[in-house]
Amino acid sequence: MIRESIRNIVFYTIILVSQLLIFNHFNFFDIINPSVYLIIFILYKISYSNSSLIFLGFITGLIIDLAMQTYGCHTFATITICYLRERIEKNSFGVNANLPSAMIKGTRMINRFIFFMLIIFIHSSIYYSLVFFNNELIGKIFYYSLLNSIVTFIIVWVLSQLISNN
Amino acid sequence: MQSIINSILKNRNLIIYITLSLITFNSLYTNSSVHYNAIGKTGTYLSGKTSVFSSYINSYFNLRDKNQILIEENLELKKIQYKYNYETQNLESKSLESKSLTNANIILNSINKSKNIIVIDKGISGGINEEMGVITSMGVVGIIKSVTKNYASIISLLNTDLKVNAILKNSSTIGSITWDGLNSKNVKLNDIPLSSSLKIGDTVVTGGMSFYFPKGIPIGSITNYDNNSLEGYYDIDVEVFNDFSSLSNVYILERTDNEEIKTLLND
Repeated sequence: MIRESIRNIVFYTIILVSQLLIFNHFNFFDIINPSVYLIIFILYKISYSNSSLIFLGFITGLIIDLAMQTYGCHTFATITICYLRERIEKNSFGVNANLPSAMIKGTRMINRFIFFMLIIFIHSSIYYSLVFFNNELIGKIFYYSLLNSIVTFIIVWVLSQLISNN
Repeated sequence: MQSIINSILKNRNLIIYITLSLITFNSLYTNSSVHYNAIGKTGTYLSGKTSVFSSYINSYFNLRDKNQILIEENLELKKIQYKYNYETQNLESKSLESKSLTNANIILNSINKSKNIIVIDKGISGGINEEMGVITSMGVVGIIKSVTKNYASIISLLNTDLKVNAILKNSSTIGSITWDGLNSKNVKLNDIPLSSSLKIGDTVVTGGMSFYFPKGIPIGSITNYDNNSLEGYYDIDVEVFNDFSSLSNVYILERTDNEEIKTLLND
């Protein structure tokens, strides 16, 4: 139990630090900054409390907002996907949602793909909607959300496969 | 109490989510000028819309008071109008000088009988007496028939028993207005000789040769006439200016010299 907790804290710290030091400064094509920290909420074990997940999302979002000077855009997007995660999980995996590692193994790839993509795309849409905060820029919001979602998905997917193999 | 606690516990995730969202939005609002301006604009729009809505609601509830104020104001204007007419144009008789106006609300009205009666909410205690003329801002309504302490009944112009002295405004030809009991919008103008010239659209006003109405109060306009009568008089249809089906407020004319004229006639 203690070993699992330490492993989780180390994993959380590594992801958060790499997000702050590497991925936040990615700036690929001046558009793409992948939100790799979403892997924390994607791989979060369903046996833990959902309220704790929302608090964890709030703290993580707050740290990233403070570092990036985005004033709460990351926080709101993150707590929203944390709140919706249970429903997205049930819709993506159906009866297999109760499996302890449904997100990385024991389920069909298409289900995992839908689950990852839904969480990443919802997060990106909310984040860029708050960043631009202008309904006249809806096309731009969609474009940014889609590109960032695709890149974030690729990185998160690869990382989850590495974790699964280990 | 237990059910409230259970409900809170059941929805704790939603409560936590809403609370944290509010904290986040507060941070956005206070720290980011873009969000401050956008949220401020939305706030101004919403407060403007709600103010307009509450203003509509308030004005609706204040309609009765506003209506009463307008009636009082209209009454004062009518008095000034009559006084002005008397002083400058000398259109009306001496009796008009001593005439005063009182307003009253209609509480009962009918237009579908041959002898229609209107009841108003003022009686002897409100200064109303029998045989007073009743008008609106549009024209003649009728004559007070009977009075109790708090109420009075009016013989409507739409009553086959009523005959009102009238003239053609353009030619001053004298006639009388009666109702044939058929159409609540039309009355008949009688006793106009075929030698008089008239046309459709001419205005008919009170003639002033009665105890009830001074000269010049509008009644209606000519809509049709027949000059083929063998009796030597026109058969004229007059459309009344008043809409008797929607009357709500009337003015009662007081002519203080009625008794003097009656005494003179009796002698």
